[in-house]
Amino acid sequence: MAGILIVEDDRDLREMLRTSLVKMKYTVIEASNGKEAILHFKPAITDLVITDLIMPDEDGLKVIMKIKEMKPATKIIAISGGGKAGPGNYLSLASALGADEVFSKPFSIHDLLKKIEELLNIEQPQ
Amino acid sequence: MERKLFVALISEDPVFAGNLKKAIRDSLDFVQINYFDSDFSFLSVFPDTKTDIILSDQRDNSDDWKVLLEEIFKVNQDALVIFVVEDRERNKSVAMIRSGVYDVITPALFTRIQPLLHRALRDLEDKAHLRYLSSEKSFGDQIANNSRSMLSIINREYTYEKVNATFCNAHSIKVESIIGKPLSEIWGKETFETKIKDNIDLCFQGNTIRYEANFNTPLFGNRFFEVVFRPITKDSGEILHLLAETFDITDLRLSQQVVNDMEEEFKKLETNLPIGFLRCDTSGTIIHANRAFLKIMECEDEALLAGFRIDEFYVEKGLFDIHLSQLLNSQIKTFGRVSFYTCHGNEIACRISGFIVTNESDNPSYIDFAFEDSSRELMLENRLLQAQKLETIGALAGGLAHDFNNILTTIYGYSEMLLEDIPKSTPSAEKVSRIITAINKAKSLTDQILTFSRQVDQEKIPVSVAEVLNETIGFVKSAKPENIDIKEDILVTDVHIHADPTQLFRVFLNLMTNAIQAMEEKGGTIFVKLAIVNGNLVRHELNKDIVADDYALITIEDTGEGMDPALMQRIFEPYFTTREVGKGTGLGLSVVHGIISEIEGEILVSSKKNKGSVFSVYLPVSSEYHTDEEINYKDKKLLFISGNRYESNILSLAIERSGYGMVFAADLNHLLKLISDTDTFPDLIIYMDDSKEIRPDDFINIYTAKKLRIPVILISDKNQLQSGEKLVNSGIVKQQLTKPVSLKEIHNAIQISLG
Repeated sequence: MAGILIVEDDRDLREMLRTSLVKMKYTVIEASNGKEAILHFKPAITDLVITDLIMPDEDGLKVIMKIKEMKPATKIIAISGGGKAGPGNYLSLASALGADEVFSKPFSIHDLLKKIEELLNIEQPQ
Repeated sequence: MERKLFVALISEDPVFAGNLKKAIRDSLDFVQINYFDSDFSFLSVFPDTKTDIILSDQRDNSDDWKVLLEEIFKVNQDALVIFVVEDRERNKSVAMIRSGVYDVITPALFTRIQPLLHRALRDLEDKAHLRYLSSEKSFGDQIANNSRSMLSIINREYTYEKVNATFCNAHSIKVESIIGKPLSEIWGKETFETKIKDNIDLCFQGNTIRYEANFNTPLFGNRFFEVVFRPITKDSGEILHLLAETFDITDLRLSQQVVNDMEEEFKKLETNLPIGFLRCDTSGTIIHANRAFLKIMECEDEALLAGFRIDEFYVEKGLFDIHLSQLLNSQIKTFGRVSFYTCHGNEIACRISGFIVTNESDNPSYIDFAFEDSSRELMLENRLLQAQKLETIGALAGGLAHDFNNILTTIYGYSEMLLEDIPKSTPSAEKVSRIITAINKAKSLTDQILTFSRQVDQEKIPVSVAEVLNETIGFVKSAKPENIDIKEDILVTDVHIHADPTQLFRVFLNLMTNAIQAMEEKGGTIFVKLAIVNGNLVRHELNKDIVADDYALITIEDTGEGMDPALMQRIFEPYFTTREVGKGTGLGLSVVHGIISEIEGEILVSSKKNKGSVFSVYLPVSSEYHTDEEINYKDKKLLFISGNRYESNILSLAIERSGYGMVFAADLNHLLKLISDTDTFPDLIIYMDDSKEIRPDDFINIYTAKKLRIPVILISDKNQLQSGEKLVNSGIVKQQLTKPVSLKEIHNAIQISLG
């Protein structure tokens, strides 16, 4: 089954995501900030990354760029609870940098799972 | 007797002379005698010697005396000459007297010499006096001629009969040229007819006339005179002449005029000064106030202030007494900002200073106060304070909302999982659904908070303000109560701003909804206006140093209950609401504020209790709004050279979205490859001088070696301007920008470089 990396600094939220993804039989790897995610990114077993955008130690934008660099085929979903940096704004920057989908918190886990399935299916039609 | 009498004694007979001398000296000590032994020796010194009396011995039967007398009179016509003759020379004596000799004596009458000399002395003195008087004509004339006034005697034919020297001097003409001339000739016909004749006629009826007038004299131009006509009445009662006394007071008038002008000027200044001026007596009772003071105090008429004491305007009772005692101690004092009640009862703040005005004996006679209205200052301070407050609350609320969204997501996720786990249509499932409904409510709340704290994404595109405004008006009209009218005045239709149209709709809707709520009970009218205003003209209102070229000004005015100043200050704070609990979230205006701030606009409010409120929204007009232009550059390729991949990514993203093709050069080889290939050959290069792989020197070398001749935009770091200097000096760089750069700046630079 496909491997998913969750990058999220809120532990409860991260656990909730893991619970629902594990329930859907995905292989789940967790990281609590951007630095950790980039450091522990395993291209071989990771097909999709769910990343928060505002985090301590390297934000989500950096994660998106690095991962797209290391393995461009990785699907990325950016999630954000609002907030902005500089002249642009995070979610639109995220999609511009290569995030395949963006969700603003709070979002429905159903919608998220549906989107994950969609992204992974298109990528792996077999 | 003080005066010495100088006598010249002339005789060829020394013995006789000695006897005569002795006879005089024995009895008269005031006589100084000079002896001469011949007429010739006397005459040779006479003109230079002080001589009162010439006593000459003529006992010789000759006519030499005639020659002597002639010579003496040639020198001094008034000389007193006494001749000595023999008793028998009577005919000769008569001839001498007739010739003007003072007296003739004989040796036998030597005893008479004493009284004769006394008489001579007295006559000499009288003669001197007479001469004095006769030369100046008369005492009266002297007074008249020395008078500062022009004096003249005028007869019934309006002709001058006499004038004094002052008159002549003033007109610089001789007496002869004035005497007998009519006044009309001297003063000019018109002046005579209009300013002189009637007064003269009145004087001839027996009245003394006194008046002031400016005469246009033919000789001196326009001068100002004080004129007195006095009738000269004869014993018979007849008046044939009048005495005219004319005094030139032009200089006096001019200096008076200068004083008056200065006074006038000062009054004007005092009246027009934007600083309130107030004069009180030492107890604080108002004596005088200028226009600015009346304006500051909202008083229509100065008379209304009469008798009022200044301390009645003080908000803080007793403060004036403190000010007064401080003033009396220090003469001059600035009190800073003091609160006052105006004549209308409004509370205002003024900066006041007081000055003690003392009289000659150095006692305080008045107190002068200068009042400066500091309402605007206070308003700006409050506005700044409010802005800071909103910023702080925004940051706090935004952070809170962000964390809260994480928590909500967790709750949301587990709730959904729970809903899957339990059978559908059971009470438990229903309960979980309720949780999800509540989460969605919470979500909309955090959305609003994030909007207020300007942490929400606004998709900014060029928006027609008129379009959104009309849409909002249409929406509000369909839902408004019947007792409320909406009148719109959309003056401009083609004004575009850079904003998220849905957020803009939210702003207008919110303001109109508020207006409706303010008039809900009594009904009323909402006036909606749209106009364009020049940024420089509203700089003062907006209190911004940097303003946009133009602003779209949207005013939404209601005729509702209005607000007091204390309320007005706080309306943009979140959860500050005047409505009863349950009506609205209390976030409305704070969200409006957040949206407007995000697009660099400004919202101002003014309100009067029971009159209504006006909300003025200033939104910077977008100069970037060009519908067709951008497409022209779609096929243009931009080459980006930067050391910071992350930064350049974000920057280039925005550029790319405008339709340009972007290529990046990571190192020198890459750069060379890119410029060698016609497919990737750029139309423009953007060089950020933080590139470590492609240093300025390398870039200059390649640029010149390859004869690139394409425009280069340099983006340099403010702290490292020197590294970019080389590029600028090399002449390659077409435009230089300094970080931080806005997208608009880059956009403009690109357009200029390519155009």
